[in-house]
Amino acid sequence: MAKFVIIGERISATAPSINKALAERDPEPILKRAKQQLDAGATYLDVNIGPAENDGEDIMKWAVQLLQGEFNNVPLALDTANKKAIEAGISVYNRSKGKPIVNSADAAGRIEYVDLAAANDAIVIALCNGEGIAKDNDERMMYCQTLLERGMEHGMDPADLWFDPLFLVTKGMQDKQMDILECIKMFSDMGLNSTGGLSNNSNGMPKHIRPIMDAAMVAMCMMQGLTSAIVNPNDLRLMETIKSCDVIKNNTLYADSYLEI
Amino acid sequence: MPFNQKPQTFNAKINEVTIGSGEKAIKIGGENVFPLYSFDAPIENAPKVGVEITDMGFENACAGIKDYYAGCATIADMAKKASEMEGADFVALSLEGGDPNGENKSVEELVALVKEVAAAVDCPLVVEGSKNVEKDGELLTKVAEALQGKNAVVMPAKEENYKAVGAAAGLAYDQIVGCESAVDINLAKQLNVMTTKLGVKSESIIMNVGTATVGYGYEYVVSTMDRIKGAALSQDDAMLQMPIITPVSSETWGVKESVASEEDMPEWGPAEERGISMEVMTAAADLAAGSNAVILRHPQSVATISKMIKELV
Amino acid sequence: MALSGIQIFKMTPKKNCKECGSPTCMAFSMKVAQGAVDISACPYMSEEALAQLSEATAPPMKTIKVGTGDAEYTLGGETVLFRHEKTFVSRPRYAVALCSCMDAAAVDAKIAEIGKVDYDRIGERMHVEMIYVNYADNGQDAYVDIVKKAAATGKTLVLGCSDVEVAKAALEVCKDGKPVLNGANASNYEAMNEVATAAGVVLGVGGADLNEIYDTVAALEKAGNKNLVIDATGADIKTTFANAVQIRRAAIKDGDRTFGYPAIVNVAKVAMDDKYMQEALASVFTMKYGSIIVMQEMTYAEALPLFGLRQNVFTDPQKPMKVEPGIYPINGGDADSICLTTVDFALTYFVVSGELERSGVPCNLLISDAGGLSVLTAWAAGKLSSTTVADFIKEQVEGKINCRKLVIPGKVAVLKGDIEAKLPGWEVIVGPTEAVQLVKFLKDLTA
Repeated sequence: MAKFVIIGERISATAPSINKALAERDPEPILKRAKQQLDAGATYLDVNIGPAENDGEDIMKWAVQLLQGEFNNVPLALDTANKKAIEAGISVYNRSKGKPIVNSADAAGRIEYVDLAAANDAIVIALCNGEGIAKDNDERMMYCQTLLERGMEHGMDPADLWFDPLFLVTKGMQDKQMDILECIKMFSDMGLNSTGGLSNNSNGMPKHIRPIMDAAMVAMCMMQGLTSAIVNPNDLRLMETIKSCDVIKNNTLYADSYLEI
Repeated sequence: MPFNQKPQTFNAKINEVTIGSGEKAIKIGGENVFPLYSFDAPIENAPKVGVEITDMGFENACAGIKDYYAGCATIADMAKKASEMEGADFVALSLEGGDPNGENKSVEELVALVKEVAAAVDCPLVVEGSKNVEKDGELLTKVAEALQGKNAVVMPAKEENYKAVGAAAGLAYDQIVGCESAVDINLAKQLNVMTTKLGVKSESIIMNVGTATVGYGYEYVVSTMDRIKGAALSQDDAMLQMPIITPVSSETWGVKESVASEEDMPEWGPAEERGISMEVMTAAADLAAGSNAVILRHPQSVATISKMIKELV
Repeated sequence: MALSGIQIFKMTPKKNCKECGSPTCMAFSMKVAQGAVDISACPYMSEEALAQLSEATAPPMKTIKVGTGDAEYTLGGETVLFRHEKTFVSRPRYAVALCSCMDAAAVDAKIAEIGKVDYDRIGERMHVEMIYVNYADNGQDAYVDIVKKAAATGKTLVLGCSDVEVAKAALEVCKDGKPVLNGANASNYEAMNEVATAAGVVLGVGGADLNEIYDTVAALEKAGNKNLVIDATGADIKTTFANAVQIRRAAIKDGDRTFGYPAIVNVAKVAMDDKYMQEALASVFTMKYGSIIVMQEMTYAEALPLFGLRQNVFTDPQKPMKVEPGIYPINGGDADSICLTTVDFALTYFVVSGELERSGVPCNLLISDAGGLSVLTAWAAGKLSSTTVADFIKEQVEGKINCRKLVIPGKVAVLKGDIEAKLPGWEVIVGPTEAVQLVKFLKDLTA
């Protein structure tokens, strides 16, 4: 089994400092967050430039070249509602360290993101969602099938579709959490890769609780076969849990210093 | 419908390590395919063959080895002769005489010898310690100091003495550190982690992950190397991407099959032939399992194994 | 090899008709992969898909039997590329080559030489199992004569002969021994197939390159013959290694069943008259994917390392190698020689007995049943205790050995008192903790 893929989520236009840096093409704040995440063990970095309706293509190109230039072609997930911006980002992307990830497609309005990924030999995060949140796992698997078929029709290797069950907030949807875990198991039984914004489960909880909840969640998810997550790699407790689970799952060889590498 | 060939290359690769300096420096590692799989992708640095000599000389060795070194007055002479052996890429000097349970030669005496040997050869040099961890902590530190500028391999750095050996060889005096673990894959990784944490560059580390003669628990060697190369390449485990060096001869020339005389075992035939075969077949198996360098003694073994490498890579 | 859900899904109609009882084709595929539902629950599976499924669930590599009686060997049937992933199941067999170009005296000498290597190692008989008889295009009679001589040894034959008529004549004199007919290629496979099938023997398939071999195997399978081995030998050493690895890897890793057959590797051919190179290559192909390895000679010099290597590599990682419990006299040890005891784990036995031999001191090594575990593990598991040692010595040693001195491994020094209490008259001596210290220890002890 391959090691759990950690996609660092901290370069996001939802953070005011990053939003400003993107708008002003100021490298400093972006590189700083990138370095922190890579030092902490992130494999991929998510680059969320927001909706970026006007100058998305330009921003994404700039961000891709900035990050890959500074960090030895670090692999990236390109995250925006602006499709053209993703294409522009891929056009300048260096794949020597891994294919780009298109973030993200769903089974409704954003299904064309699958086509985009296929056309560009990219990985796509495939959110098992239609209009609104799926009511149960039958529905999730229906979306999964739709997305998978779409990818295969366009010649994609099923391994390049990373299915996202859509993590739900525990405060408010506590009774749905086991469904999510079961859904991950289904992906895994099918031999499919999976990922998702795992820390959404702890949204709204007190700050000191969130790392504990996220660590518990990631351990249970990895048990079910989750192969990746979009998380904050600077959450030490979470990262220690992921590294430990990777050892238990025999994804990586144990050494006494495994937490330090 | 033709055969659908699927070359197995990896995004990860084994570290490339340069040993020695000047014209005769060698490189090992650098490949992104399984051992000897040059049909999957070119292997730029073929595995290398070293010739082992020892501070104890070869008085009790078989005729083929003794004859080869006939006329050598000193160990340094032998080193020079070893470096000229057909197929030799480097010379390995074993300081087994330093063992406190054996000859217990002094550190000063051995370091002086190392200097003489280093002056006598222009090929890359590997220095192997006394196999006693306390003695080696001191001995190999001094050896590393004496070999400044040679970019030599100093080994073994073991769990008990890696700090002393690693810091001296890898940091203070810019040599290559040979980390040794005995068919224990977790320890092999841990030693690399700790040595790296000392500040030694990963391009200055190679590892001896344990060895045995074929027939003597060799399955552990096979699985250790298989798993290390698998993790290094398919899991991109940077702490297992160090090239592997395997001292073969010190194991193979000590087992019964190589030692028993023809008088004692008449049906077995001449002992020297058996010794060569044990050495050749163990070295070939080591290379197939993943060794990037092997250390041998007999001229026939060195010639055969280096020729086999040329044929395969 | 089980199919993954995704492989099954690809064969479903993907119309989510729910007639199978599952809400989606995806859910259905998942249940089939888990074995919870039979594939037949889907009324829309095509015949082709079903055939593909049954093919896909077949083992990745065929198990081929050659020879008869005691000389029957099982080749292939492997499911992994590396032994730690599970285990290798069929050890390679070694063949010594004869050639119709050799004169009668040379053939007789070679046959006599082959018979000399025959010994036991940890319960396994080590000998040359096969003879490869090569046809040098010098007439049927010469070849049949040599085949007859080779068959008389009782060893399993591999006929290296691509001349259809000559092969047919040779099989007449040896087919009862179930030899391998290694001679099919792109130009003769149809006729060779008839000859091999009529004689009921395994057919070996060769070719100029992997593509040609692949096509020929596919054609033979189409003609109904799946009782095959593949001759992986190429024009040179490099090609031969590339062939052997790629054939096995295609079968096991990529599930390409056309290459799911055992391989013959003729190192005698690619390193003719280079004894040492053949040794090196035999070792490499024992590690990587030869099923029949052909060499020009097998004296004790070749056999001791090679059979040892094979025994190691083909050990099941889950089962430790054990030696038989008993008294092993070393250096001419007799009833009055000192006794040393250790466990029956094969590696421990080899290391300890090797050191004892090096000491030159006559002694008796006593091996009791410790479940094939190493000293400390056996002690922790209760399989090496004062009771096991005392019982073993009372039952099997005291009647045969007069000496009453027993050396126990240093790692279980704690047993000394208890053993002495249970074995009146014995002096128990604590030995060293590592085998390498035995030589000095014994010399000091007996000095």
